[in-house]
Amino acid sequence: MFRLTIKESSLGGLLASTYLGYSLVFWLYPFLWLGVLSFTDWQFIGLPTFSGLKNCVAVLHDPLFWKAMKNVFLFLFYYLPIVLSASLLFAFGLRRIKYGKAFIALSFLLANVSSGVAYSIVFSKLFSEYGPITLFLQAHLGMTVPWFTAPDVAMISIALIVTWKFVGYYGLIFYSGLIAIPKEIYDAAALDQTGPIKRLFRLTLPLMNAQIVMVLVLAISVAFALFTEPYLITGGGPLDSTTTPMVVMYEAAFRRMQPGWAATMSIFVAAFSFSLIWLVRRSLEKNIEKV
Amino acid sequence: MLTRLLFPVIFTGATLLLSGCGQEEEKETSTLKMWVAPNITQETFWGGVIRDWNAIPGNPKIEFTAIPVAGSSEEAIMNALASGTEPDISTNIFIGFATQLAGQGLLTNFSTLAGYDALVATRKMEPFTKAWEINGENYVIPIYVSPIVYWWRGDLLKKLGIDHIPVTYEEVYSLSEKNVAAGGHYSMQVTAGKNWWDRWFDFVPLYYAASGNKPYFNNDRAEFNNPAGLEVLTFIQKMFLNKWSSYDFTSADDPLVTSDVIGAVRGPWDITRYREQYPEILNTIRIGPMLTATGRAAPATMADSKGLVLFNSSDKKEEAWKFIQWVYSNPKYDVKWLEATNMPPAREDLLTNPLFSAYLENNPLAKEIISYVNRATPPAATTRTIDVQRSMTQMIERTIFENASPAQALQKSADEINHAQGK
Repeated sequence: MFRLTIKESSLGGLLASTYLGYSLVFWLYPFLWLGVLSFTDWQFIGLPTFSGLKNCVAVLHDPLFWKAMKNVFLFLFYYLPIVLSASLLFAFGLRRIKYGKAFIALSFLLANVSSGVAYSIVFSKLFSEYGPITLFLQAHLGMTVPWFTAPDVAMISIALIVTWKFVGYYGLIFYSGLIAIPKEIYDAAALDQTGPIKRLFRLTLPLMNAQIVMVLVLAISVAFALFTEPYLITGGGPLDSTTTPMVVMYEAAFRRMQPGWAATMSIFVAAFSFSLIWLVRRSLEKNIEKV
Repeated sequence: MLTRLLFPVIFTGATLLLSGCGQEEEKETSTLKMWVAPNITQETFWGGVIRDWNAIPGNPKIEFTAIPVAGSSEEAIMNALASGTEPDISTNIFIGFATQLAGQGLLTNFSTLAGYDALVATRKMEPFTKAWEINGENYVIPIYVSPIVYWWRGDLLKKLGIDHIPVTYEEVYSLSEKNVAAGGHYSMQVTAGKNWWDRWFDFVPLYYAASGNKPYFNNDRAEFNNPAGLEVLTFIQKMFLNKWSSYDFTSADDPLVTSDVIGAVRGPWDITRYREQYPEILNTIRIGPMLTATGRAAPATMADSKGLVLFNSSDKKEEAWKFIQWVYSNPKYDVKWLEATNMPPAREDLLTNPLFSAYLENNPLAKEIISYVNRATPPAATTRTIDVQRSMTQMIERTIFENASPAQALQKSADEINHAQGK
């Protein structure tokens, strides 16, 4: 009787082929197409025509591109300290909770899976001039915060909203790092009479290096991919103060019908994003042995 | 053992893959495809029209669907065009998008089709087809023309002792002062929002009114850096600097309903919403024209207008054209459209044709809005709508947030637009 024999390595290749096929279709093909678009003129219809470096020059000379890039860094400037401290607080709090830990963790995580469109509408109402937050601040502190209407404040408001979305997610990552720190290390620190501040900065945070770097990488990725909140809440304004690369690329590709320009910009944005991540990892990542 | 297991896995996978790829929906060559605006009112209207058409023996069948969900109708249509899945006919096309599509040779030029002139005459839509010309040609059948007008709260005006609707900037300033003196805060929603498309509802109609219906963008150049543009921008700035208006209204609840303002731009599409949700407020609404410096008689305004196109890629153009002629040569459907949407069909006999009388007599607000149709002009037919209106948004924001003088802001915006064109 005929019996098909198959080598283990071939079998492995065969099983992996599904993923490889998927990657070819959904990663390599768009990636190559992106390369083609960057060096061509195309308006969705017909064949692209070679345009050399025209798109590169056009993107680099467009003030909107630079404004959007500057806004990413401005966003990170506000977002990182807020989200890191909020997530750490969440993780520390979660560690101390005795009952309902899973419920609380999931409640915070719910924000992360909420629809961007839905919560953008909710926040635009909450922060509006007649929204409860503004009215509360007016009534109790006598101050009016122009959350989305002042160019200097709008990006902070966006950073606060994105923090709300990610605090549970990052907090759980921190929590996993926190509970992995051996108790003996803290016992030793107690014997040495180490104070809580010193313990935090010399022990806990360094031992959570892997989680902190991971959250930083995720946060940087979020900053470069920011779209729904500025697009729906501020429209990128006022005075382009919340315009992000994704908003600019979306409008260029689908509104101005310049997919080549948008594709080129996406390559620059990716280069900036990867460089920043590389820089963060290189300067902060450490190989920590806990045992 | 492993190989025994492997075969069913591979077989199932291959079957799934092949069934996924292979069952490409065969296009029914005899069926016309039509996309309509993705909202329940228009879907219901077109559902009725197409049911009537399909019931006529011998007519090619039409299938309609709402424009697929995407960031915008334009995006969905572009994606369909890129992938070759576009319909034969699509509605919900604004003039800027039509100009882009026509520029790429994607649209049928209706004016070259037999029976076009007769259809224009029958539907009495000549002024509108003229306004929708793109490089002298007609690629779009205008469906509706919604003039941009102000809605004023008659009850609040009365409280301030004002018995007429403001028509000049000065009247609005004086009203605003009275309102503040009476303990009020804001008097008008001057800007419609923060996005580029919101300029269709503030600067553009005010500019049309101030300039006597002159274009704000022509021959690829900004044309609004002139005394009319200055008048409008000065008015807008003054309203904000005096805190008589807020830039945050769009994210709040409707300020006209909450009595936070006395006047705001609203469209005929809002009539249904108000009728269902705020009938008492609707009863107080009085319609007013675009404001001008001198209270010019019958000032122009902008027409929020959408149309229907026939794609060049259609292999059933003849049938599609027959359908379009059938719909728009029968005023019954324009009456139904008006009843369903409150948006004025693009025809100039709305106030004189007895077919519309019954509806208009029972809907005085719609009737009043319709009286503005003949002086409402669509936005500029340009592929650069976003650049132009984005720059206008920045222009307004510079006067509000950076305290730039209106003259400087106008100059900067015109330079930006013209420089971008130069590039």
